[in-house]
Amino acid sequence: MIDTPLIRFSDVSKVYHLESGDFTALDHISLEIQDNEFVAIMGPSGSGKSTMMNQLGILDVPTSGELFISGRNVASLTALERTHMRRDIIGYVFQKFYLIPLLSAYENVEYPLILKHKKRDDSGKATAMLKAVGFDEAMSAHRPTQLSGGQQQRVAIARALVNDPKIMLCDEPTGNLDRKTGFQIMDILTGLHREGKTVIIVTHDPKIAEYANRIITLEDGRIAA
Amino acid sequence: MKDIFFDLSVRSVRLNFLRSLLASIGIVIGVVAISSMGMLGTNMQLQVKDQLSSGADTIVITADAVRMGPTGSSSTSSSSSATGITKTQLNKIKLAAGTANKIVPIYSTSTQFTLAAVPGRSTVYGIDPDDITKFLTISNGTNIDGINDALVGSTFATNFNLKIGNRIRIGKDTDASRPVLRIVGILAPRGMSSDNVNTDNAIVVSSDWYTNQYGGKDVYKQVNVIVKNIDTIPDVEAVIDAKLNTDEKKPAVRISDASSRLSGITSTLSSITTFILAIGGISLLVAATSIFNVMMMSVNERIQEIGILLSIGTEKGEVRRMFLYEAVILGILGASVGGVGSLIIGYSVVSFMIGTTKYFFLPASIIYIPVGMAIGLAVCVLSGMYPAWKASNMDPIDALRAE
Repeated sequence: MIDTPLIRFSDVSKVYHLESGDFTALDHISLEIQDNEFVAIMGPSGSGKSTMMNQLGILDVPTSGELFISGRNVASLTALERTHMRRDIIGYVFQKFYLIPLLSAYENVEYPLILKHKKRDDSGKATAMLKAVGFDEAMSAHRPTQLSGGQQQRVAIARALVNDPKIMLCDEPTGNLDRKTGFQIMDILTGLHREGKTVIIVTHDPKIAEYANRIITLEDGRIAA
Repeated sequence: MKDIFFDLSVRSVRLNFLRSLLASIGIVIGVVAISSMGMLGTNMQLQVKDQLSSGADTIVITADAVRMGPTGSSSTSSSSSATGITKTQLNKIKLAAGTANKIVPIYSTSTQFTLAAVPGRSTVYGIDPDDITKFLTISNGTNIDGINDALVGSTFATNFNLKIGNRIRIGKDTDASRPVLRIVGILAPRGMSSDNVNTDNAIVVSSDWYTNQYGGKDVYKQVNVIVKNIDTIPDVEAVIDAKLNTDEKKPAVRISDASSRLSGITSTLSSITTFILAIGGISLLVAATSIFNVMMMSVNERIQEIGILLSIGTEKGEVRRMFLYEAVILGILGASVGGVGSLIIGYSVVSFMIGTTKYFFLPASIIYIPVGMAIGLAVCVLSGMYPAWKASNMDPIDALRAE
């Protein structure tokens, strides 16, 4: 059986048309990421990390070249199909947590299930996910503003996991946390990798990058190492 | 099933309660304005119609105003007594109308009189006593019997404090003959009657007394045809028209009925209603602007949240729905309070302006409350459409970056 990569960048460029002229954020990138890899993407500001994350997260499409995620050419999908891929095969963890402020911790975790099944969750999955990141029922009823940074990030991880995605996409997941809490979050992500998830993490921090099996360094939109 | 997007909308409204409340008040005012104005206009129309429809079964035939006396006989122009329905025409009318319908020829003029040394002026009708009871009601006293007997209208009687048996002296002080009439009966109030016989402020005498006094025998001011079946009015009119108006260029008589006279008045009234409705509409326009504003604020404040929703796989339609729900909540809130307000304020306005609320709960009037509420809700949803569309079409990357 041929080993089809989970993610394949084939000569992908992303060019932004700005008033000051065209800006090439990704410059002819070719890259493969296999199932169950733990990849860290590093590089200075403006090197193209965020652009690459947006491509991986199917929030954007390449200007040229082809990007295959889970065997599908992203550029050829309709907007609705891309939305469904974001919902079903990708779990996002953001630096600023990005929980929905009007929903409780439980509802934040339940939310992707509702998107997928178009009904409130009765499987107990949301509760189980929260329990896995150390949340009991009382804590689950809190709104995001009532939680600490580390707690919010745990909820965000539970939310990212609840639809059982293939890829965990983490954009500076420890960037807003103290060092100790940051390592706790990394321990959770390492555990997920061990359980079979593909984890992709963007970070500035070499200590955090050490958790990964493979480090990709970007410079001026190209892969430097 | 409880919809999470509905929950989100409810929470957003609750979070910005004061702002939402103020926007809803706009809708409340708009709904109340439209409903109350609409009901006021309708109640006015219903009342006028009711007052005028007392003569709905009557066709009024008058001499055509253009035909003023015999042509070329300028020497006799001093008298306008030639204007009227002649005996020949009356006979033709009787033939045309058939025996089932009642024919009432009526004389009338304006006269001066003296009542207990107080002079006055009023209309005097000359009608055959047998015809009087065909369309007038004597509320007090009896019908005309003797030649000098007279009936007076209710307002006339009240104004001069008249009783049965009182006498009226007809004519100016300077007149040679000033006959005296004896009041034998008082007529029931007719209001503004559509058959041109407004007796409330008038004197009614027998046709014999009238022609003795004023002359012009067999030249009637008008002939009323009271039909047995109101639906036959157009047919009867057509036959009379064919018999009497033989010269198309110079019609001899003018034929009219309550519906043709009513339609003029009701169309004027409905223009007034439309106009005041439009004023109510303006307040809804203002409300629409404030709802739009609140919705735009809600969208702009939640750009990052919208970014989160979109990036983790929320469909555009779902985001749109969330904001439309918000508009609907504001609309339902405003329309419900507005509906109750319309009932109270509309009732007060109608009873104050029209003086009666007997038409208020009729379907034609009360319908303005649900109509006003529906318009208020529709205005809300329409105002929420663009903000909702804007929210759902944001670029998730840009939205997430917004602070």
